[in-house]
Order: sequence, then C-alpha cells, then structure tokens
Amino acid sequence: MPLWFARGLRRGVVTTRYPARPDESAALLPTPPAFRPDQLTREAADLMVAACPGPALSRRDDTLIFDVGACTACGRCAQVAPRVVSSSGEFELATTARSALIKKIPIRGGGR
Amino acid sequence: MTAVEQRTTETPDPLVSQLVGLGGLEVKDGSATRAAVTVRMLPETLEAATHSLAGIPGIRLADMFGDNGSDAPTLRLVWALEEGYLLIETEIEDGQYPPLSDIAPAAFVEECEIYEQFGIRPATGKPLNRLMLPPHAGADFPRLGHAPARPPEEVHAPHTVGGQAFEFPFGPVRQVGVESLYYGLVTSGEEIVDVYLFTWHKHRGVEWRLRGLTPGEGIFFAERAEGLSAVAVGWAFAAAAEAALGVTPPPAAARTRAVALELERLYNHAAAMAALCQATGLTVGQSAAEIALERLLRVNAAAFGHRYLFGVIEPGGTARAPDAEVLRRDLPAAYGELRRAADALLSTNSFVDRLEACGILTAEQARRLGLVGPVARAAGLAMDTRHDGRRPRSGSADGGPYTGHPVAVVTKDGGDVFARFQVMLGEAAESVRLIGEFLDEGTAAERTSLPRGGGHGLGWAESSRGEVLAWVALDADGRITRARLRPGSVRNWRGFDDACRSQNVFTDIPIIEASFWLTAAGLAR
Amino acid sequence: MNPSPDETEAAASRLRETVAAQFGRSLHIRTLDTGSCAVCEQEIRLLTAPHYDLHRLGFFFTPAPRHADLLLVTGPMVRAFDVAARKTYEAMPGPKVVVATGACALGGVYPKDPFVHGDVGQVLPVDVWIPGCPPSPLALLHGLGVAVGRLAEKTPGLTFIADGGAA
Repeated sequence: MPLWFARGLRRGVVTTRYPARPDESAALLPTPPAFRPDQLTREAADLMVAACPGPALSRRDDTLIFDVGACTACGRCAQVAPRVVSSSGEFELATTARSALIKKIPIRGGGR
Repeated sequence: MTAVEQRTTETPDPLVSQLVGLGGLEVKDGSATRAAVTVRMLPETLEAATHSLAGIPGIRLADMFGDNGSDAPTLRLVWALEEGYLLIETEIEDGQYPPLSDIAPAAFVEECEIYEQFGIRPATGKPLNRLMLPPHAGADFPRLGHAPARPPEEVHAPHTVGGQAFEFPFGPVRQVGVESLYYGLVTSGEEIVDVYLFTWHKHRGVEWRLRGLTPGEGIFFAERAEGLSAVAVGWAFAAAAEAALGVTPPPAAARTRAVALELERLYNHAAAMAALCQATGLTVGQSAAEIALERLLRVNAAAFGHRYLFGVIEPGGTARAPDAEVLRRDLPAAYGELRRAADALLSTNSFVDRLEACGILTAEQARRLGLVGPVARAAGLAMDTRHDGRRPRSGSADGGPYTGHPVAVVTKDGGDVFARFQVMLGEAAESVRLIGEFLDEGTAAERTSLPRGGGHGLGWAESSRGEVLAWVALDADGRITRARLRPGSVRNWRGFDDACRSQNVFTDIPIIEASFWLTAAGLAR
Repeated sequence: MNPSPDETEAAASRLRETVAAQFGRSLHIRTLDTGSCAVCEQEIRLLTAPHYDLHRLGFFFTPAPRHADLLLVTGPMVRAFDVAARKTYEAMPGPKVVVATGACALGGVYPKDPFVHGDVGQVLPVDVWIPGCPPSPLALLHGLGVAVGRLAEKTPGLTFIADGGAA
C-alpha cells in the first residue's frame, strides 16, 4: 500500500474543474453539425437527408429539420455537403424539453 | 445457387481435395481471396466431413449460422485453418441436420440461435434453449428464416447438474454502470455449481435490420452491434462486403484500419484492468487504470475524432485517417500510465493472489469450446488472426496490413484470471509497437469504390476479445440479403460457465467476468 | 406529437420545483441499460473515475432502486426489456427523475419495430434528454447538472446555424 500512496501523491490531481470551469478536452469531442443556410440548397438538403443513417435530418419545403437528439455526429452529412456543414462545437446539449432539440434550418441557397 | 467455377490457376487445397473425396460436393470460390474457400456438401457427408475436420490439430470451428436457401434452409459451418477459412454449406430439408457431435460442445449457442431463427436442429433431439427471441415471441415474430415447429425448451445449461443445489436468477438489471445481463446461478450455497446466461432482453435484431441495406448503410449498425469492438466488427463487415464484390482497400487505408484496431485493443485492455481492480476491491488500482483508460480514449479522440473510434471504417477503405503527429506525441504517455499502473498491480501481492487460480480454463476446455482471443491464449492456445494465414485482408493478394509486421502472439499456460491479465498486458505492448510501425509506413483516408453487382464473402478481424467473423451476401443491386455478425463475445461467453464452475465462489464471478471482458451486446446483437 | 411551449415550460418548472425541494445537495443515481451497444455504459462508468469524479458534485451511484433519486437510462428500449424497465422505475420511490442518455435512447439509431420501441420515452416518463453517441462524461455531467437545476440549459438558445463560422 505505501507504493500506491506514494504513486498517488506523485501523480497529482487530474480531476476536471468542469462545470465550474471549462475543460479543454471538450475540444476533442465530436459534435453535431451546424448548417450554412446560404449554401444550403434543396438538392444538398436531400443529399444530406439520404446520407443520414437515422431520423436526424428531414426536409419540409424550404426548411431542413434537424433533430439534434437523434444525431450521432457520424459526419455523413458533412461528407456529402461539405460547403454546407461545419462542426457546431456544442456538447452541452442536455435539455428538459425534447422539442428543444428539434431545429429548423432555412434553405436559402437558391437555385442549383 | 450461383454457378460453380474452380479457378484453374490455383491447385485445390489438399484438405478440400480430401473433402471432395468424400463425394457429393462442389467447390465454390465465390470470394476473391484464397483465404476463404466455400464448399457445398450434401447432408449425408456432413457428419463425416465434420468428424474428419474436427480431428485435425490446428483446425477449429469458428462459426455456424443459418440462411435461407432456394428450397430449404442452408446451414453454414466456418472452419478456421492455419492458412485461411473453409466454409461448408449444406441445404437442410426436413428440419434436421446430422448430430455433428464433434462440434456440439462449442456450437451449442449457435445451434440454439439457428433453431429459433430457421427452425432446423441437430438430429440428436437434445433440448435447445431460447437464446435471442423473448418468451412472448410467437410464430409471427420477425426472424431471419422460419419459426421452428416446436418452440425451444427452457433447458439452460448444456450439461446436467447433480447434488444438492438451488437455482436463482440474477439480473438483468445488475450493478451500477454495467450492461443488463441475466444470470441463472445454480449453487449449493457459496460455491458455483453452474451459471447460464440469457441475453434476449438486449436482442436488437441487428442481422435482421441489415437486410436490404447497402454495405455503406449497414456499417453504421455493424459498428454498433458491439460498440466496444466497433473497429473490429466494422472491419470484418466491410471486409466481407469487399470480398463479396472482389475489391481491396488501398494499402494505406488498410494500415489506418490496423492503427484503429490496435488503439481499440489498448483501451479495452485498460478498461478490463480497471474492471479487475473494481472486482477485487482495489480502489487505488481502479483509479490508476481509469486514468490510463481516459488518456487512451482522449488519444483516440485526438487522432480519429471519436473516443470509441466510430466512423473510421467504411466499406472499401477508411473515412478518416489518424493525425499521426498527435498520435506519436500522445500515445507513449498514455501507454506509460497503463504500464505503470500494471507494474504497480503486479507488485501488489493481495491483488495477484486474488487472480491466481481463479476462473481456470484448461487448454482442452478452450479447444473443445472453440474459444478465441486472450481467453484462449491464456489457456495456452497460440491463435491470433493477425499472425497466421488468416491475417485480416479483403480479397487482396498482398495479405493485408499485417504482412511485414509480424505480431508476437502472447500466450500463457495458467488459464486463470492472472494469465488472462498477463496476456492483455503483453498484447498492449505489442499494440503500441505495431501502431508506430503502421504510422511509419503511412496511413490515409481512402477508399476503393464498390462495383455494381452481388456476391458473398467472409471478413474477419482480431478484436480485443478475439476473432470477429462476418459473412455477407449481396444481391445484384448490391443490397444485403444475409449478413452474419459473429463478435468474439459470441464464442467466449460459451466458456464463461466452465470458468466459473472450476472451484469458484460468488465473489469470483465479477473477477472472472472482468478477465473475459466480453459484452452482452455482442452476444445478443 | 411535440408538446406546446406552455406544456414544455410547465414540465421544466415542475422538475425544478421537485429537484429544489427534495434533492438538496446530493443525489443518488441508478443506471438502466435497455439494449445499448455497451459504449454508453463505459462513459457512465468513467463518471466516478479520477478525471471526472462525480462525487465532488454530490452525485453518487447506487445499485438499489429504493435509494435512487435519478434513473439514468441507455439503449433503444428493447421490447423484451419493458417489464424489467418498468419494475426498476416503479421500485424507485418518488420524487424521482428519469434521464434518457444517448442517441439510441432519444430515438436516433433504431426505428420503432418489432424488436425495439426505438426510444426510452415510449415506456418511461423522461424528464431530461442527453444527446450524443455516446454522450461523453462531460456531456453527462452537464446533463446531470441540468437534471438537478444546477446548470442552465443551452439547447433552447442554440440554432445550429453557421453564419460565417459562428454556430
């Protein structure tokens, strides 16, 4: 046991200060996408909807409906529409209202 | 059935010739690699073939699964040879196949699964358990084939239990932070007389869901069949699709897969070490192992963008390449944490005492039950699909990423928890060395595009739990008609009750479970 | 199908009152796996690991539903698990909070079919949802903080619209 005690003291504290302070390891985490409405066309939206392995993306007229709760951050939408998609960087996504996770992204990319 | 063509450029394997000599079979070479040969047999010769194969040293049954044939269900046996795999398929009419008593101990789990999914059973008449389908599953519950005429019986363990013993159920909701798993514990008090498992409460129907998907759509679910083996199962599945279509990933992408696979092995072994410490009540050891585990997961995230390496592999190649600079910088320190924790544990007599002579499996048991991975290697069986002729490859002549990177197969003789712990430590060191070599040779995110058309193929990879197999059949539109996923957990849970029964008590069960480091998800799928 | 903004605000408000009144500064958590791939459980186990140390925040795990205040649920709710899930929930005395964690539990991975319900909310009354595949320990800490009213939710204010780089 003295071996472990000494090891522990030498090792020091690794515990995060989160949530009191931000934790820089959060920058490594995969996060849901963010979408650029001006780059988003109906065609790009439909490509992303088809590429999404779950129900996270769907389209109604000129709105892309994004269910953040269903998103696994797999990156397939970014692969098929790289000009539209960037990483949101958001990992603090917990909510008391499921509906708060349904987001509407306007399709403003126009023609093409 | 597809037309048979024997490749004239290749001489038939002598073993296959021997089987051909039994009569009544055709050789199908549906995959692009010599490493997996498919042979079709008549039921009458299956028993003799199984008997002769089982008697050859170095050959083991790797998997058995059912499929829908044109007229009747098809039974497929996958045999692992030194040089590759031999698939034997037979059409089974009248619902019964030969007893296959040589492989019956190993194949009990598979026999139960085949019966409830396809309605065919061995001709012995012995009782079979309900395995994946829940108690209320009637004839119209979705299956891969047809429901059996008679529902499976409830015999729990494939052997009899004598003496004064009572049985009590434990689970499926168990301790904090572990998967749901149902044990039936048979005990005379403290000693474990028997233990059996049910996982039907976690059966998600992954193989059922894969039907109709393309390989690119399917890998999302294959990775999540056993998430802690996402790289290994994803690799085996992708390789099966690639073999079916006759393509090979680019070499740099294949090395990327190998880097991810070794990182997966590292974090799993660290997690197993933490679980061993928790099971033996050594909290300081658990904390030290968890520090190493967390650092390894952060290395995964920094290198590949996901702590558990989801989304790295895609059919045809890899979607992501590792950040080699970050990996070279961060991995040594993370592994150093693991190594220092392990060294401290090996110097802690109270810990080592607890592991020695606990949960013993002999080499004979491991062989008879068809076990794989560290569990088999700790019992003295020198098998590792990265090392021998079965190196993971997908229809390539060059033999895949491990060619030119020989893996030292780590074996021990004790067969106990301590031996399994030592094997894992040895493998972790090997993994770090291999990652360095693969990075030096170069990695990339590339893929070979999948051609149109169908076919069938076998894929495999060495997960941290042992050999993973996948078999995929694609129709002419490239959609899956049958996908078989066989994670290492499916083979090795078979040995869990034997390991628990060898003079162990209740408090040994979590220790033995940690040393196996399997998952309920991998068995239940 | 989706609750109205009024219903949502009412639910959140009830949760805050419950938590503020009853849970004080310490909370016991029971975990429940309804069919996960095993990775969510690994992240949950790391909550008590040195890097995250759940205990410093006054949260503790308990294997006994009778002692638990919060049920942390993973997996797509395999139908064969319904009875075990309900029994675990009902064995917890009120007041209690149900937190669904991970894309499977939120309906993102498996659709409703004969094997699974597809999301935990089909069988249990969920109070807090934590997205992710898997949710990392940091995301879980945030979710637990939201569940006890200690941390503010960010999601209602996030748009996931990138205008020249900002989300």
